Amino acid sequence: MTEKFDLSIERTLDAPRDLVWKAWTSPDHIKRWWAPRPYQTPEVEVELKPGGKFFTRMTGPDGFDYSGTACVLEVVPNERIVWTTTMKDGYRPNAFAGDGCDGFPFTAVHTFEDGGDGKTRYTATVMHANAKDRDAHAAMGFDGGWATCADQMAEVARELAVTS
Amino acid sequence: MLNDSPKLDRTFQALSDPIRRGMLARLSRGPASVSELAAPLPISLPAVLQHLKALEASGLVASRKAGRVRTVRLEPEVLSAAERWLGEQRSQWEARVDRFEAHLATITKEETE
Repeated sequence: MTEKFDLSIERTLDAPRDLVWKAWTSPDHIKRWWAPRPYQTPEVEVELKPGGKFFTRMTGPDGFDYSGTACVLEVVPNERIVWTTTMKDGYRPNAFAGDGCDGFPFTAVHTFEDGGDGKTRYTATVMHANAKDRDAHAAMGFDGGWATCADQMAEVARELAVTS
Repeated sequence: MLNDSPKLDRTFQALSDPIRRGMLARLSRGPASVSELAAPLPISLPAVLQHLKALEASGLVASRKAGRVRTVRLEPEVLSAAERWLGEQRSQWEARVDRFEAHLATITKEETE
């Protein structure tokens, strides 16, 4: 299938693999980093087994409230987790209304390798379906995403200004 | 387009840095002078200029000097809609991994205390 809509991210994380795994798969941890500020992630459910649930609910001060249920496909503790938004738990297909607020299908493969010196090499491969129908969605997501980025940057700058 | 991978590499490299994403975010609201771009950023002016150079090399932004003021603007037509969409997904995932990394630093500190 098409690889041109895949994206791959690699990062060496300064923490041992078991801790990275815990922070990536435990709901209490995920709640603390999943959503960009000022959005929050009040609910997370993770079932670490094939067919298990990967559920997140994000809320925002502007009334934003979005829940997504993905299906866990593969789990190798401390090494690899694969989940897909194409299905809910129990392999039941997800419906995508296509209004841009209802999510979109992708499968994410996350791998964790020893990076030496107590570090972990993290790789994420996110495979998307063909994006050709998404022009309208693209414009919306692009602007929204950049605006959120800008807000985060401003917040970081303010925090630095306060602490320095 | 999407099979033009050296160009895409430069684009994604430009998008892979939170400071540069912040600069692009500012520019998505309209052109800005270099000092306006630098003002909210917690980095030195030479560092801002380095980031600007990387953004110009990617073709995502262009700048023009008039008198003593260099004005920077976004070149949105550089990216097709599909590229923009994919770039947006990438920037969201990069930002998520940034947050994950910051969270790891926090809990590593908690565990050693």
